[in-house]
Formats: sequence, structure tokens, C-alpha cells
Amino acid sequence: MAEIEKVDYWRWTESNWKNPDIPDWHGSLITAGVDIGSTSTQAVILVDGVPYAYSNMRTGSNSPDSAIGAINWAMKDTGLTLEDITYTIGTGYGRVNVPFSNKTVTEITCHAKGANYIYGPTVRTILDMGGQDCKAIHCDEKGTVTSFMMNDKCAAGTGRGMEVIANLLAVRVEEIGEMSFKVDEEPAPVSSTCVIFAKSEATKLMRAGWTKEKVLAAYCHAMALRVVRLLERNGMELDFAITGGIAKNVGVTRRIEKIMGVTALSPKMDTQIAGALGAALLAKEFVEKKKAKG
Amino acid sequence: MSYEKLFENNISSESVKAWKASGKKAIGYVCCHVPTEILIAADIMPVRLRATNCVDSSDAEAWMSSFSCSFARSILQYLMNGTYELDGLVQSDGCMMATRILDNWEHISKKNGKEQFVYQVGAPRITNDTTIAYYKSELQDLADKLGAFSGTKVTDDALKAAIAKTNEIRDLIDQVYDLRREAKVSGTEALNITLAHCDYTVDEYIALLKEFLADAKNRKPIEARARLMIIGSALDNPEYIKVIEEKGGLVVADALCFGAKAFGDKIAVDDADVMGSIAKYYLTRNTCPRSLDNRPAIHKEIVDACKKFDVQGVIYEKMQNCECWGGEAYYLEPDLKAEGIPMLQLEREEHMANAGQLAIRAEAFIEMLDK
Repeated sequence: MAEIEKVDYWRWTESNWKNPDIPDWHGSLITAGVDIGSTSTQAVILVDGVPYAYSNMRTGSNSPDSAIGAINWAMKDTGLTLEDITYTIGTGYGRVNVPFSNKTVTEITCHAKGANYIYGPTVRTILDMGGQDCKAIHCDEKGTVTSFMMNDKCAAGTGRGMEVIANLLAVRVEEIGEMSFKVDEEPAPVSSTCVIFAKSEATKLMRAGWTKEKVLAAYCHAMALRVVRLLERNGMELDFAITGGIAKNVGVTRRIEKIMGVTALSPKMDTQIAGALGAALLAKEFVEKKKAKG
Repeated sequence: MSYEKLFENNISSESVKAWKASGKKAIGYVCCHVPTEILIAADIMPVRLRATNCVDSSDAEAWMSSFSCSFARSILQYLMNGTYELDGLVQSDGCMMATRILDNWEHISKKNGKEQFVYQVGAPRITNDTTIAYYKSELQDLADKLGAFSGTKVTDDALKAAIAKTNEIRDLIDQVYDLRREAKVSGTEALNITLAHCDYTVDEYIALLKEFLADAKNRKPIEARARLMIIGSALDNPEYIKVIEEKGGLVVADALCFGAKAFGDKIAVDDADVMGSIAKYYLTRNTCPRSLDNRPAIHKEIVDACKKFDVQGVIYEKMQNCECWGGEAYYLEPDLKAEGIPMLQLEREEHMANAGQLAIRAEAFIEMLDK
């Protein structure tokens, strides 16, 4: 009997990048940020405060290994070693498990700083949609947090919830966003209280004859509504930007924009690295402050 | 007696056992609207019920749904599993969830053939001469019934003697809070201290506080990244504050019914109407937003405390399904904002299952304040 190919539909594409405009890092200040999230891990390396290299990969079962794996992949083909990095900040839920970090800072502070770099100093409201939680953050023109609010407890409205639906419907997670618009009219949202409830409801809808597209539309709609409530509770101040993995899912982001009546800024780089980028920027600030103090 | 007892993490039954061994009664109570002076005057040991460190309330869940307040449900659990072995329960209708403790316990104890003294005090939710008079009549009825139960009639003299002791406690707690202001006592320690009030007799508690204060006055101030105030639903777990303080915050003030709000100013006694003095004091005191007419006063007290204790940020913790503190943030936040004081809102349950989630929020809040 032929073996059925098992596809992990939830698997998103891992990546790394090296800045072609920085030919040589020698003699420069090198700082790094490592963001160990529940689902993904990123490492960002800065040369004098400018992004030089990064990696974005799945978090494994062992956080220190994930951190080492991410920084090694970011350093690949750069000639850098850990000894060349002056200061590293760990962030994310696994921030205390970055074996080579000098300091830890929460992902809330780091995302605000990273979004300030990615989107510019006009950003005031950031929605970070991560793997297991989401956060509505307000910041000032320097990317310093002025208030924030996080969702409570459930993975509904997060990347993990989207991965569960991808596997259930056998649709690659990166295709969900576009597919969710292939419906004649927007269906009512599924339950957004809990991922398990949403999954049961999606199964029921499939049995009732709904197309995958329609179920995905209902799910993206529910996810958008859930995070909109968070944004409303914390208040919306323009400019608005979205970070985290779900920022890449237009099925959710466009619906958020429509419900809130706002347009999110377009990112100039991968939104998933915002936390690690912020950590690396804070690492640079820390080194400079320390230097200034003598 | 060593004051280390003030910092025992679990509920201590040592004092209750000794009291009962001498042939006297010990009665549990829930909520700040049960005046302990009346129980003390009836020669009964008042034991304020709490659910500290309750990790499983599945027995109680058969009686109170999982959508009820987990604090109230966990207290019922402790009554059911014998953590508390008392002679009865006095309850005020501080909130509807807490009221269900009494309803269910009355039924369960009867069903188990161990019927107990139970009494519900009606505490009105507005304060005026009419409601104070009603509350006084409720308290007088409670005093009569407690006197009959213990065999010690509640007299004005006994009430005044009890007030003298509870006023002494209020004065000593004030001194503890002065040390908090000087950063010599952490928020975790302070909640441990105020929670110990639940487990000991007034005389024992006074002795413990005096010993502690004599020692603590010589301490050096604690260094912290941010001075915080914690407000919100009934919080009876010092570990909750410990998680916040481990992230670099120092909780220097509170507006909690197991903290500052359990004590308050001294009771002024009118010799001509002692029970009336107690009724007026307890109904006028702003312990929580259960009343319909005290919201502005409570908010003002919180803002004033922020100024007095040099607070940089307020942590508002709200128990899931909390009736009293459920929607207060909406009204309070603008008052704090006007003073430039940020507020962090947190949801929690009695069981400390979300320490990691609390830690990340607390740490980010402290980072925000420690610019």
C-alpha cells in the first residue's frame, strides 16, 4: 500500500538574511537581539545600529538550543563569531534561556523599539500578534512604551490558533490570508473564545458543506474581532502598525483595518523580527549609555 | 512568641486550636462588613476566611460553577475539606459570590449532619441615616444571637473593650504602612502581615505586630526600579506580589480588602450609642466598590495614596467574575491619568497558575516606568 505523504500545513517558511550594503563589520559596534517566542525564534545582528543579518526559525523543544541555532544561522557567511558581539539582549518568553545574552528585556519593550525602527517614529499604536499571545502597545516617538495590554490565557487570536486551523483544513498557513477572501460575502465569525471551540466549530461548518475558503474567512474574521477588542481597550492612536507572524496574514490584517477604519503602515522589513530587532537596538543603547557614563 | 509567624505562607490553625481547646468558640467570617468587635465582645475568636494556596477547588465546584468567583469557591473548598474547623460562619452580603459561600455551607453542613451557627448580615449598598439604622439593627441581632451561642452576652462595655483592641491594631498597621512608605517593608511582607490578622487572636496579633515593628524600624530601605500600588479584588496570596517584586518593583501601597482596607481609621465611639458607632464606621468606610455611592470616594483615596506613597504606577488586579471590581478600571483610569500615573490591568484567578503571565506583564510595566 502506498504511503500517504504527511504534510505539516502549519509550517511557515524559515529564513535568514544578510545585508548586502554592509561589506565589512570590522571595527564597528556589533550588538544582537534574540527573541525566543513560543512558536518562532529570531536573532538579529546590528552593525553600528544598522541591521546586518538575521534569522527566523521555529522554536524547538529546547530554548537554549533554539537561541544558539538562531544566532548561528544569522552569523552564517558573515565571518562573525559570538566573541565579536559586544552585547546581546534576550527577549521573548524564553528570554532567560539565551545562554550567551548579557541582559533580558521583555518582548513588549522590544517590540515597541523594533516597530519604531521598522515603521518609523510616527508609530503610536502597535499590535503584536505572536505565536501564543497578542499585545496592543502604545509608544512614543522614540519607541518607548507608554501603555500596553495583552490578551489573557487563550491562544485564540494568535499564531498558534492559525496553525491549528491550517492543519485542520489542510491549507498551508501562508496561503490562508489570500484564500479567506475568495468568498461571495463575509460569513459570521466562528467562536473566538477558545482555539479548541473554534476548531470544533470549523469542523462542524465543513460537515455542513461550507467551503474551506468560507471557513477560513469566518476564522480570520473571528481572529480580527478578538484583537480589535484588545486594541479598543487600549485605545487607538495613529499611526498604527502590526508586528509578529500574523502581520503577514492579510486575511487577518485587512479585516482588522476594515473593522477599525484605519490603515496599518507598510513594513520595510520582516515584521516577525521586530522583537529581536528591538532587543538588538536596546543592546546598542545600553552599550552607548555605559560608555557615556565611563 | 516570634514574629516570624507573621510570614507563614499557609493558613495557620494553631491559634484556633488552642482557643477551642480552652472551651471557647471560633467563628469564620467573610468580608470586611462583619465587625469583628461584636464577635470578640461575645468571647468568640473571629477567623477571617481566606483561600491562600488553594490549588484545587473541585469539591466546591460541584456547588459553585466554574464561572463563579474562584476566591469564594476556594473558601468553600477549604470549609468542605476541613482546612477550617470552626464553630460557624458569619457572612455579610459584601458581594453576591461571597454570599453563595454561606448559602452552600449552610446546606452542606446540614446535609453532613454537622449543622453550624450561620448568620448573614445585611449590609446596605448605600450609606445614609436610614441604611445605617438598618445595618445597626442587623448587627444588634447578630450580637444577640452570638451572645446566646457563646454564653457571653454582648454588652457596651465588652464592645468598647474590643474596639480598644482593634483600634490598637489599626494604629500598629498604620506604622507598618509608614515603613512601606520608607521602603523598609516589601509589599509581599506587608500582605503576609495583614493576612496573619485572619489567623490569630487580637492579643496575639498585637504582640506579633509590636515585635515586628521594633525590629523593622532599623532596616535599610529596599532598592527598587519602580514604586507600585496594587488595587483590586480580594488578594490573599503574597506570592502574587512576590512575582511582581522579583521583577524589580516595590509594592509600597495597596487598596486591598486583605490589606489596608481591612483596617482603616480608628473607630470613634459614642458612649451613648456604641453599636450605632460600629454600624456607622463599617458602613461609611470605603473598602471596595460594592456600594452604589462610594466610587468617587474610593478613587480619590487611591489617588491620594499614590501621592502619599510616591507611587509611580498602579497594578489593578481583577478576579475573573468579580462583581465589585469588574468594571472599575474604566472609571478609575482617567483619574490616575490626570495625575500622570499609569495603570496596568490584570485578570487573575485564586489559583496561582498564571505566574509566568503575571511576570511578563509586571516586568514590562516596570520597564515602562523605569525609563
